[in-house]
Amino acid sequence: MADVVPTEEFLELAGGRVHLLRGGTGEPVLFLHAAGGAGAWHPFHALLAGAGFEVLAPDHPGFGKSDDFPDAEAIDDLVYHYLDVIDALGLSRPHVVGASFGGWIAAELAVHSPHRIGSLTLLSAAGLRLPDHPVADIFLLPPAKLAATLFHDPPPPAPAPAPGAPLDLDAIIAAYREATSLARFSWVPYFYDPKLERRLHRITAPTLVAAPSDDRLIPVAHAQRYAALISGAAYAEVADCGHAMYFERPTEFASLVASFLASHPLAESGVSR
Amino acid sequence: MKFSFFHLMPYPYLPDDFDEKYDSSALTYPNANFDPKLGSELYGRYLDELEYADQLGFDGIAVNEHHQSAYGLMPSPNLMAAALTRRTSSARIMVLGNAIGIRGNPLRVAEEIAMLDLMSGGRVDSGFVRGIGWEYFGHSINPVKSRERFDEAHDLIIKAWTSPEMFSWYGKNYEYRYVNIWPRPVQQPHPPIYIPGAGSTETMRFCAERKYTYMSVYAPTSIVRRWFDGYRQAAADLGYVPDPEKIAFSVPVYVADTDEQAHREARPALEWLYRKGLKQTAEMVTPPGYMSPGSLRGVLASGMRVLGGFSYEDLLANGQAVVGSAAAVADRLADLYEKLGGFGQLIGLFAIGPSTHQQVMRSAELFASDVMPALRPLGVAAERTTA
Repeated sequence: MADVVPTEEFLELAGGRVHLLRGGTGEPVLFLHAAGGAGAWHPFHALLAGAGFEVLAPDHPGFGKSDDFPDAEAIDDLVYHYLDVIDALGLSRPHVVGASFGGWIAAELAVHSPHRIGSLTLLSAAGLRLPDHPVADIFLLPPAKLAATLFHDPPPPAPAPAPGAPLDLDAIIAAYREATSLARFSWVPYFYDPKLERRLHRITAPTLVAAPSDDRLIPVAHAQRYAALISGAAYAEVADCGHAMYFERPTEFASLVASFLASHPLAESGVSR
Repeated sequence: MKFSFFHLMPYPYLPDDFDEKYDSSALTYPNANFDPKLGSELYGRYLDELEYADQLGFDGIAVNEHHQSAYGLMPSPNLMAAALTRRTSSARIMVLGNAIGIRGNPLRVAEEIAMLDLMSGGRVDSGFVRGIGWEYFGHSINPVKSRERFDEAHDLIIKAWTSPEMFSWYGKNYEYRYVNIWPRPVQQPHPPIYIPGAGSTETMRFCAERKYTYMSVYAPTSIVRRWFDGYRQAAADLGYVPDPEKIAFSVPVYVADTDEQAHREARPALEWLYRKGLKQTAEMVTPPGYMSPGSLRGVLASGMRVLGGFSYEDLLANGQAVVGSAAAVADRLADLYEKLGGFGQLIGLFAIGPSTHQQVMRSAELFASDVMPALRPLGVAAERTTA
């Protein structure tokens, strides 16, 4: 099957513009990205779309090509933001798939408005605090150690720039902007919401909790905790993979998610979109 | 020209394998390496040095705030200032400053500075700083909120000192139903304010609007010149020429009896300061949101390098340290005065890294006796030189 090529669009919300990539046909899948990789259509997206879904991939506030939405200050603001996005897209009850930081948003969305979620997929989601399994400090990791933390099998480091080579200021500023947006929602409490765990019982949608086998950022115990607390949740691990998940093993993650979504069609719940 | 003796109170006893083993002397440098007995002796020694500077005739003695670091052992500058109020008599006691960006309770800062002002008989200067990058990690304060927390804390503290009646405060970061501090400060309308600047045009304007003293942090002369010019321009935009005293140049200073001796002793001390004391990773320097994208672009485009990248000779040539005999130091400071377009206060770091007590005391003596008189006439407002 030829790769699905996305269309690019902007949603106009009260607080600014949301950049969104859309590709494929089928039941709608709202994909909430991890801290990295905003604004891009990855092989994972193409594979999921190619499996017969309409993938809707917005950039979070302050990420990629979305506006900053400076009034959004904490995770609960992102819940309301994504309710606005779902409304603006004309969806009533989409599949929601979230990875890492985006998985935290998805879980919060699902406890807040369970009736708006057709199915829920959490890919090594942040959001919980397990005292014995702390999340590594991503803000303190230098680039060299970042790759070793995110990947089971880290890619070779990029060649060092020639001495005196000009800095790519735009790229540095763009990366700093996204780190700033991540910190806005995640610096303290550090990647968790103390109230989330006791609210997980509210989730009613069919749920898949998935994790990479070798997660050095958010220990796998977090995914296991989600799976234990969400009623009826399925649990899966992808072998030989780090927290980068759909960057490191796009085929395995796309296939895992696609088969879960296919086995829980939205039509079954009486709502197609 | 006014002169102050600034102390960081460093913990100089780093292990031999520090360079290979540790990313920084702060935040992640284990405090198992801190020997409380040595630390206690250091506090006594460092307070002695500040008190001696008062006796030598320095106009000010200065302390500051740093956390979780061998670079500076003063998590609470106000405690050190309190100790100094009782054993000094004439120098201004300069708290440069309280890191109100990371404090949870700015009203406490207003209260403590007011206490110090009373205890010192109105000798306190109150600096406000945001707190540096690693301290946002160390105190789990969101760096994205650094500037708004600083601004709000500042506004609250000034109002707490000056409001003729009690009031309520409902801000984005702080809420108080009753602001009614006891005691109130003795200096009216409030103790003088010092703000360090590192290139932000917002800070230049903030200081110029309020006629606060704008002080530099350690950077090459060409860059500090741009900061001072920016402050002067911000004042000009508001229709006035700042009093020279409102511009303060901060620099490590070391004086010995001869140039040769001075350089021999200062080299390891300055290398310690810039390469070990200030050693930190890029992530620690600029946590996300600590700088605005525009400020970060400005810093990167200006070609500022990490401080540890400078050699001893670079530091001297760049005006990031002034070392020599009294005559050489006086000449060099007069030269820097010209290169910086003038300043009315010199904030000298005299106790540099692992310098010994004897070295620091001798350096301060020589500076007071042989450097200060030569520089005194510089940086004084025109109307006062003719008075």
